[in-house]
Amino acid sequence: MSEKDTVMSPEYKEALTSLLLQLADDDFLYAYRGSEWLGLAPHIEEDVASSSISQDSMGHAAMYYKLLEDLGVGSADDLAHLRPAKDRKNSILTERVNGEGYYMETPEYDWAYQVVRSYFYTQAKKVKMDSLCESSYSPIAETAVKVRMELYYHRLHWEIWFKQLLSSTDVAKKKMHDAIKLVMTDFGDVFSYGKEKQIIENSRLIESEEILKEKWKASLKPLFVALQMEVPEIPDQPTKNGRNGDHTKDLDDALLTLSEVYKLDPVAGW
Amino acid sequence: MAENKTFYQEYEIFSKRTPSSAFQHQFSLLAPNEDMALILAQENFMRREPVADIWIVNRKNIRKMDVEEKMTLGRLDNKDYRTTKGYGYLKKKWRQYEQQILDEKEILSWGGERK
Repeated sequence: MSEKDTVMSPEYKEALTSLLLQLADDDFLYAYRGSEWLGLAPHIEEDVASSSISQDSMGHAAMYYKLLEDLGVGSADDLAHLRPAKDRKNSILTERVNGEGYYMETPEYDWAYQVVRSYFYTQAKKVKMDSLCESSYSPIAETAVKVRMELYYHRLHWEIWFKQLLSSTDVAKKKMHDAIKLVMTDFGDVFSYGKEKQIIENSRLIESEEILKEKWKASLKPLFVALQMEVPEIPDQPTKNGRNGDHTKDLDDALLTLSEVYKLDPVAGW
Repeated sequence: MAENKTFYQEYEIFSKRTPSSAFQHQFSLLAPNEDMALILAQENFMRREPVADIWIVNRKNIRKMDVEEKMTLGRLDNKDYRTTKGYGYLKKKWRQYEQQILDEKEILSWGGERK
């Protein structure tokens, strides 16, 4: 680490910071949206199983925020809770609400959406982790090895749900196909590095957007063939690019809720 | 089906020592069917110890994990919050608050106003 600090060029540090924020914010929001399902999942044991996945994912976000803290970007807790939406770099896919309604009142969340978003997101995360294991920045590579360990379960879990709902009743199939459309509309920035594309790719921190997209499609191919379906196309241009701080109102609402307690007393040790 | 052509099948035997104890996996044996497996299990494996109940499960009915699935069992050691030891610090914290003097500012803060 210390030798890295001395040899790190300003451009390299900028690329590294941006990439880490993208990874951290993605998992942070993904975990938050997952946590809103607590008590609402369609099956009591599923409630616990998917909550564990949310906790794991929050743990991964914490590891990336810690790497940012080590780089002097700010304290991990502050980075997670205090940054306004315009500074957030998560994909808009991860910030989207789970469906109509608020979870404390009358939520009408869409489980098909949760399954599709989680499965596609986890598969994308796996592709990124595989690439990050070869990263030029060794602390990221070490973190990716750890994160990947828990992704085996996340992937299996969502893949089983995905496969079974798509092989189920007509109603289930319709909901799943609708969810796939909805998820893919927001998929345009999942593999985007935003304005930092050039410097991130030049820094050999991770492979190019194009390579990762191809790997994602290839990784889904066998299951889609078995289901007699086509792997959906990733939109060329994202409607909004979260990597550049361009977000939906859903993110503002999420940030208001998730930082409410932290902001009461930021220096308190919980 | 190939498996039906085999006369003997593999059975996994579970038993418990007392009515209130948990079932434990004990042994496996070959038998032509469940009933035969039951009468063979009892006297072959449990003749020297007390037994309160026996379960017979055909091995082909057990959903096993393959090598790839076993990869899903890996877990990071960052989940202290799932165990009581993750909350050990609360005792110290509690003591610290108990020792704090109840001043006017503290009492007023209970009304919902921030300190």
